[in-house]
Amino acid sequence: MSRPLTCCIALCASLWSGAGWATPDPVAVVKSEVLPGFETLAEKAQVLEDAAQADCSPDSDALRAAWADAFDAWVRVSHLRFGPAEVADRAFALAFWPDTRNATPKSLQGLIAAEDPVVESVEAFGQVSIAARGFYALEYLLFDPAFAQESHYSCALTRAVARDTSEIAEAIFVDWQTFAQEFDAESDRYRSTEEALQELFKAVTSGLQFTSDTRIGRPMGSFDKPRPTRAEARRSERSIRHVRLSLEATESLALALAADAPKVAAEIREAYEKAFAEIDAQESPIFAGVDNPAGRFRVELLQAAVERVRTVVGAELGPELGVIAGFNSQDGD
Amino acid sequence: MLSRRGMLSGMVAAGLMPARGWSDVGAPRFLAAAKDGSGYALHGVSEAGESLFSVALPARGHAAAAHPERAEAVAFARRPGTYAVVLDCLSGRVKAEMAAPAGRHFYGHGAFSPDGSVLYTPENDFENAAGVIGMWDVFGGYRRLGEFPSHGVGPHELRLMPDGGSLVIANGGIETHPDAGRAKLNLPMMAPNLAYVSLSGEVMEVVEPPAGEHLNSMRHLVVDAMGRVALALQWQGDVAEAPALLMLHRRGEAPVWASAEGPRHDAMQGYAGSVSFSGDGMQVAITSPRGGRVQVFEAGTGHFVHEVLLEDVCGLAPGATGFVASTGIGGFHCIENGTARAMQAHKVAWDNHIVPIGA
Repeated sequence: MSRPLTCCIALCASLWSGAGWATPDPVAVVKSEVLPGFETLAEKAQVLEDAAQADCSPDSDALRAAWADAFDAWVRVSHLRFGPAEVADRAFALAFWPDTRNATPKSLQGLIAAEDPVVESVEAFGQVSIAARGFYALEYLLFDPAFAQESHYSCALTRAVARDTSEIAEAIFVDWQTFAQEFDAESDRYRSTEEALQELFKAVTSGLQFTSDTRIGRPMGSFDKPRPTRAEARRSERSIRHVRLSLEATESLALALAADAPKVAAEIREAYEKAFAEIDAQESPIFAGVDNPAGRFRVELLQAAVERVRTVVGAELGPELGVIAGFNSQDGD
Repeated sequence: MLSRRGMLSGMVAAGLMPARGWSDVGAPRFLAAAKDGSGYALHGVSEAGESLFSVALPARGHAAAAHPERAEAVAFARRPGTYAVVLDCLSGRVKAEMAAPAGRHFYGHGAFSPDGSVLYTPENDFENAAGVIGMWDVFGGYRRLGEFPSHGVGPHELRLMPDGGSLVIANGGIETHPDAGRAKLNLPMMAPNLAYVSLSGEVMEVVEPPAGEHLNSMRHLVVDAMGRVALALQWQGDVAEAPALLMLHRRGEAPVWASAEGPRHDAMQGYAGSVSFSGDGMQVAITSPRGGRVQVFEAGTGHFVHEVLLEDVCGLAPGATGFVASTGIGGFHCIENGTARAMQAHKVAWDNHIVPIGA
């Protein structure tokens, strides 16, 4: 190759990278960062269904462990709120939270009080209020003293929720096999590689926002009115665990999107490291310290670290992918 | 030498002159908030898209309400803001500050009664997750008069109906709590509606989205002199499933849902930011900043007419015959016959809305 041409290529390449055109293949990112997570969720949910069949008692170690594994798998994909997870309220039926009006315990109480025979068939249970389904409903049935009592009906209800959870997880995974092809440039759902990448990028930013505003923000409440009882999955003491799992999941996706931009990837990694360090510094697994100054300060540091991750991802990764949006388009009203 | 403007504002401040009208500030046709360098301001804009004045805002604005007579604007903080400032557009001074009562926050919009005596503000009673409409005594220095229910959750924007005796309210349906920022707390259960409510708070008519479309948040609306209401919606579900984002309605009639076909509709990305009738009243349009486009429909039938591509467009208002539209990259455009003509390019980022004055 002649020298001037090499120079031109080098120059052009640097111009392009300056303009922000690191474009990983969205199909490859979906294969490595999305499909395995939904496959794991489907597998673990099947184990959960089997465990409930084998032993429905709320203090069964095997059942609680299977529920915890499947819940972990859900939290790891909970930022992927587009496509198959959004069909027919599936994601909400798996994960009805935050539950601002206590609809989950109310709906469960209603089913139990009536000994509603809806638990007897998969199809019928699929029509039950989404508040009485999924991982958070199971948490009440396994961990809340008001619900975690063995009775013939509560056993049938636990099995029905576990089976329904498994059905939904399986349906999402099956649909993802074909939906993954939509990320190909030839598909019509996304008109360009940038649009496909934007969907994945948005999953990172909205996942981070949910963790910051809701998983951390809800128990924080305000300084005058801390709300520790609003912590996610506090009955099973999983609140901080969910923050960690969700951050691990969005970090993995963000780094896959930043694969061609090592400097950006390094900045992202550094911001996440600080957030994980703040998680390690938490004293309560369920944000119980938000109502005292020292504990609250620790949680504030954690939230600030997650916000820092959001800022780095938004300001560095977005432009790198060419998906930066404008003053109005990225904002909402 | 003291400028006429400086002298007038001094006299107003000294209470020597009555409050001035819009003609005293160059007769702007619109108000629009913008980001200017590192600061924020509310601009008075002419029909030709020129900025006639600008008044500094303490933080990023959302929309404003223009007093029908006085050169006076109420600028609201973005939701979940708890304050609004009343600006004298001649002097640039803050005439009054409005603080939301305890347990309430504003949604960034408000509307004056036709005689300019009362300002109505959609607000969130966040502990009870209920929408309320606040009433403020304009001539008494923007004193709180009271409130009544909006008959829904998350009332975002409202307008006075031309009968002068009722309001039309877009209840977005989304529960938020200031502790959790702008996080949406109730998506699976959300129930948006368009509510017509008397000025004493009685509900007169309610329009809801069709079954299966409860995730379509009703957000921004306009009403014309004949009582035709046009509503812009924001879909909270999977963007590929987004239903129509424009609803046309008249009291007592079935709503008309308007959307472009197939991929054109998909390109709106489930999000309509602003809505307006055209200057001649024949058309109605919605903007999508995410899709970077303005889609125009027949006002009478809701049939799609054409679309105009404009990067980061959001603000929209009636023009001479067509529309004016503003963008986050500074453009102020005239939209007619399916084309956008840049009237002015400003070195500001225009914010979500253009508010017509005297409409």
